[in-house]
Amino acid sequence: MKLIAVRRRVPIAIAIAVAVTIIALVAASTTREGIALSIAFDLAVACGIAMSVPGFKADHPVVSRAALTLLALDVAIFLTFFFSSSTNFNLATGAAMSIVLLGLSFLTGASGQISLGNGAFMGVGAFAMAIWANHHATTPIVLTLLIAVACGALVGLLLGLPATRLRGPYLAGMTLAFAVAFTFILSSFSSWTGGDSGLQLPTAATAPRWLDGFFHAGTPPLTTTTLYITDVAIIVAGVAFFFMANLFASRTGRSMRLIRDNDVAAELVGVSLPRTRVVAFIVSSAYAALGGALLTLIDNSVSPPTYSFALSVTILSLIVIGGIGTISGALIGGVIYAFSTNVISWITTQTGLNPQGNLASQLNGIIFGGLLILTMLFAPFGITGAARQLWHRLRARFPR
Amino acid sequence: MITIEDLTVSFGAVQALRNVSFVAETGKITAVLGANGAGKTTLLRTISGLKEPKTGTIRLDDQSLVHKRTEDIARLGIGHVPEGRGVIGEFTVEENLRLGAMMARVNLLQGLQEQYELFPVLGERRKQHAAKLSGGERQMLAMARALIAKPSVLLLDEPSLGLAPLVTAQLMHTIQSLCESSDLTVILVEQNATSALRIAHHAVVLHVGKVVANDTAANVSANDNLRQYYLGLVE
Repeated sequence: MKLIAVRRRVPIAIAIAVAVTIIALVAASTTREGIALSIAFDLAVACGIAMSVPGFKADHPVVSRAALTLLALDVAIFLTFFFSSSTNFNLATGAAMSIVLLGLSFLTGASGQISLGNGAFMGVGAFAMAIWANHHATTPIVLTLLIAVACGALVGLLLGLPATRLRGPYLAGMTLAFAVAFTFILSSFSSWTGGDSGLQLPTAATAPRWLDGFFHAGTPPLTTTTLYITDVAIIVAGVAFFFMANLFASRTGRSMRLIRDNDVAAELVGVSLPRTRVVAFIVSSAYAALGGALLTLIDNSVSPPTYSFALSVTILSLIVIGGIGTISGALIGGVIYAFSTNVISWITTQTGLNPQGNLASQLNGIIFGGLLILTMLFAPFGITGAARQLWHRLRARFPR
Repeated sequence: MITIEDLTVSFGAVQALRNVSFVAETGKITAVLGANGAGKTTLLRTISGLKEPKTGTIRLDDQSLVHKRTEDIARLGIGHVPEGRGVIGEFTVEENLRLGAMMARVNLLQGLQEQYELFPVLGERRKQHAAKLSGGERQMLAMARALIAKPSVLLLDEPSLGLAPLVTAQLMHTIQSLCESSDLTVILVEQNATSALRIAHHAVVLHVGKVVANDTAANVSANDNLRQYYLGLVE
């Protein structure tokens, strides 16, 4: 019965979605918000119907994850049309950082390896993006992002190979060395990287011509570029989260968790420890590079000090605060990072601190450090873990 | 068939196994007995490739296992259930079983069905997290995870450790049934000599890394000296 229900409802949901999209595009509205509303509504309906079918998640996990991703993207993109430019900028930054956190969450949470060098991996992607864009300005964004990902994966492979022989503090030490050396490496290749001042992108990323009308600025203070880049960042993050959710549930993901919990048992069932550990490093650094490349796209520039060792520590703090080894933890960490600047400016305003002063410039570290201590004391599994505990307690107190 | 000849394994200056030789026949249970520190676990770990031997040979039929990687030995059909079981508590019973099947190219659904028939309690708890299983159920899960890959040789390290006598008896009966219904070769490392000798065809007694007896289980069981001095079985 359940299977019949799934088979019947999914095509119906897709048919409804397609029909409403066509109607929306052709007749419903020619304004940007109208079209956005129509598309958002019908996608939500389609995903909602598909996911409401009992047993759908268990029977079709990949399709279910795709529907959930589509629904989340749908809501997020729809909201960007109504947010201010600064909020959209924060959202885009949060999306980029959550990709980085997701990569580290996979490395640390799933495979049990530690990295203090993900800030540097981010830098690899950020500079790969900027260097490529400066030499090949006409390359489409997606291709440039993929080039940055490939560069990050390559560096991950190079560091991952020796990492297979290292554990715990020794592995942390190796990645720490890379993080510390990275800014010096950038300075050594100043003809490529622009030295201490970094690089500017030759042009701000704009929507392709066929999407131009859709992103046309009509609602001040929203700018076309910010809106477009925000939506690109959100879509890229959505795709990255979708892939990672599937990777977590895949054979590779299960092998990694087995290695993390019991590497002897993993070997005994035929899992190759070195290969799996290297794969984890490659995935983590590729995700970090993707996040870094997106940040370059958002900021329209890149400079070496951004990718110092302090960023790696911030990334590690954020993943602990959000919840290691969880997808939602990475999302929470990304949001905290994105809106931390707002909190800092609020604090400086309220306390009358000089925004250019020494204390104000260190507030970022103080806030993340404080949050990290609080998390370790009161929610060792991060905000995600605390939320799960609360949910279980509520379910125990109020059974259905 | 597993053939071990002149196997010596060292941990630095300490020799854990000294010139160990014996044959584990196809379709038979070979019990490896001895006190703590006799080298039983080291023997199994060396067969699985988790420990490199200093000298000697280990062969699965005609194939040498020495210097092979653990994952390659596992893929050759040697299943090892380690001491402490090694099940993943945060995974469900079924997910743990999937782990066992994932590297061996076997039909997953059929494999799951077979294991649930062999260990019905696992079928009843297939959606339950392994952390919530009892000690006996965890041992069953560890064995099922090894068996789902359809090994030709099963290495069991102290399966009765920490289990109630009734559960141990049930587990030993299952191991015996497995051997009788298939050509599975079992090397059973046990401190519980009575239980092991009851189901084993052959027995090897280790003492401080050396073989002190290598005979049929019936003969070892009947030897009062072995029982008294090496197996701690006093009448």
